[in-house]
Amino acid sequence: MTALGGFLWLVSFWLIGEVIVYLTAIPVSSGVLGMLLLSITLALRGGVPDTLAAAAQPLIALLAMLIMPGVVGVFFVAGELGGQWLAIIFSLTLGTLLSVLTTLWLMRRLMRSQDVK
Amino acid sequence: MLSDALLEQLTATPLFAVALTLAAYLIGMTIFRRLKQPTWLPAVLIAALLLAVFLLISGLHYTTYQQGAAWLSVLLGPATVALGMPLYQQFPRIRELWRPLMVCLPVSASLAVVYAVGIAWLLGLSDQVLASLAAKSVTAPIAIGITQQLGGSIPLLMGGLLITGVVAIAVVSLAAKWMKISDERLIGFALGLNGHAIGTVRAFEISPTAGAFASLGMSLTGIFTALLLPLAWHFIG
Repeated sequence: MTALGGFLWLVSFWLIGEVIVYLTAIPVSSGVLGMLLLSITLALRGGVPDTLAAAAQPLIALLAMLIMPGVVGVFFVAGELGGQWLAIIFSLTLGTLLSVLTTLWLMRRLMRSQDVK
Repeated sequence: MLSDALLEQLTATPLFAVALTLAAYLIGMTIFRRLKQPTWLPAVLIAALLLAVFLLISGLHYTTYQQGAAWLSVLLGPATVALGMPLYQQFPRIRELWRPLMVCLPVSASLAVVYAVGIAWLLGLSDQVLASLAAKSVTAPIAIGITQQLGGSIPLLMGGLLITGVVAIAVVSLAAKWMKISDERLIGFALGLNGHAIGTVRAFEISPTAGAFASLGMSLTGIFTALLLPLAWHFIG
């Protein structure tokens, strides 16, 4: 039963996110807004309530399963792309390779220069 | 091959789609563990492939399945909010690194778009394809909004997200070995920034610290890209 109260926390923060999106029309999703608001609220409160941890941990563990139904849809659009799919896969693969290398290289460099100071 | 009448009976409630999703996920996880958790083939992809094959064989339409599975995927909202908890628990470690994080984020998040769209443009892909690929490193709920603003195709974006997520996981683990990086904060941040939710799931497999930095990378990339990409796209035209 403890998880139920925590689940209400999570849903409420998501709904608060929805209200903010509605009022401000910012192009950010209510889930991401709710995540940031939750972390700020926990920081102000100083600690994670047990009920919240009981609901949040299993949900985070299930994240992969929750994105799966959307991923399945990908296999049903391949036919619409005609001959472009090879070029699309190539640009995504090479582009992601380059951006991962840039992130790792830049972040390591920045972290080292901070440590030196 | 299930008969139409039986399919109609089974899909009268969302429970069939829910059961299919749970079964595919559990089987996918088992295969993933048997294969010793390969970084190039995440459990999500195995499970999604199994389910796609089942849909093809049984004759169940994807849209019918999706309507039922919405009962599960609606939990994606609260699950994303839940990431605020590990994020809070890692606040002290994030604060230590706030300066490098704040410099790295805008540069990397912009380059994630520029590299992929630049290569696609050089290969002569159409403007509509470019608009569909631009948000490929952003978490799905935000990326869908961005792609609509740019005039791209949502199904193509979803394909782009999948490829990007899978490639990001594989490249991060290979490059970390090659560059001798073992800092979980850095690896997690790179996974979330480049590989959105798929990368974040992977980061939580490594450790809670990597997961928290991935959540941070994923949410900041989402916000940064959502605010600036439509503007930049408009000016470059």
